[in-house]
Amino acid sequence: MVSATIENSRTEHSTALTIVHIQGELDSSCMEKIHALCDEILAKHAPFVIAEMGGVALFSSSALGGFMGSRKRLVESGGDLVLAGLSLEIKSKLNLLGANKIFRIYSDVRSAINAYDWEYKGKAETVNLSFPSELKFVPPVRQLVSRIAQQKGYSNRDSFRIETIVDEVCNNAVEHGMQGSDRNIDITVKIDRQKIEIQVVNISNPEKIRTLREMVKPDTNLAEAAATAGKRGRGLALIKMLSNKMNIDFSGNGTSVHITRFRGD
Amino acid sequence: MESQINLEFEDLKGSNNAKIVRFVGDLDATNVEFVLDKICNLMNEGYINIVADFQKLRYVNSTGLGVLLHFNKSAKEKNGSFKIANVNENVYEIIEIIGATSLLEIFDELDEAVESLK
Repeated sequence: MVSATIENSRTEHSTALTIVHIQGELDSSCMEKIHALCDEILAKHAPFVIAEMGGVALFSSSALGGFMGSRKRLVESGGDLVLAGLSLEIKSKLNLLGANKIFRIYSDVRSAINAYDWEYKGKAETVNLSFPSELKFVPPVRQLVSRIAQQKGYSNRDSFRIETIVDEVCNNAVEHGMQGSDRNIDITVKIDRQKIEIQVVNISNPEKIRTLREMVKPDTNLAEAAATAGKRGRGLALIKMLSNKMNIDFSGNGTSVHITRFRGD
Repeated sequence: MESQINLEFEDLKGSNNAKIVRFVGDLDATNVEFVLDKICNLMNEGYINIVADFQKLRYVNSTGLGVLLHFNKSAKEKNGSFKIANVNENVYEIIEIIGATSLLEIFDELDEAVESLK
């Protein structure tokens, strides 16, 4: 027998989000209850539903049909029905039936809420990294940020461009800042569905700061500088051309570079 | 922790001054010196015509691009050439953004690049 209770979302999330806890055996006898539950949710104008199914021991194909029908109605009302906390056995069965192509399935409710916040509330996620100011640490950092972007649904091309931006900014931070294993470079990556913001802060090297200031003067023609540069000196031009916005702040003891790049731009 | 780059060399039949160099991996600030050393040595040994096969080159940054332009210049100074083939679209975009497509000799296929030496 199905036993379902409706728990309205907590206020820090959204009134449009409903978490439904389901347990027991979901078979054809549950169809009516699933339908009624869907009516109730739609009447409350909370069409984003997370079905928490950790306590479900059986999920029949007829119940799956009922879920698909409910999902269709919720999607038509601008919402969705996602599944969370399924046992491995039921998850495998749903995969075999191809249900994973229709329903988004999350390991637990927290992951489903995070995905909801990301998808529908435009919530950004932030990652902070710190690494010693040495060139050899830049490749793993740039690859990590690129993979974060890929995981967040950014295209391969977008992720490659992001990798390039992080690489160039971090290389500059090492080259123009104080170097050594005891000097750190801090990087903050803030990513949402529309854009990624990258901030890189190093410890300024007083001997190199004047050269850097000259390079980033507003009247410097970076494209021309790139065309005439020797083996080095094209990084800044590349960053600028791959970014939508670039700010450099020399105040304080460190140089802070803030980049914004819009998704798919 | 440096990026991995491997260079594989292949002789070109019927030529004693040309080689194919296959770039495998990522070309960036951590390994440009290694690549610079290898290719410059090759040119100094008399291999003034280099065909760089980028089929397995996943990534290049501005420093890597700087050495490619350097190879191009060095080869020309020795009356040779530095040709590039099989560039993936991401790497090509970086070359294009920097404005280097007009400076480098880039071919779609390796055969075309080799043929252009004749």
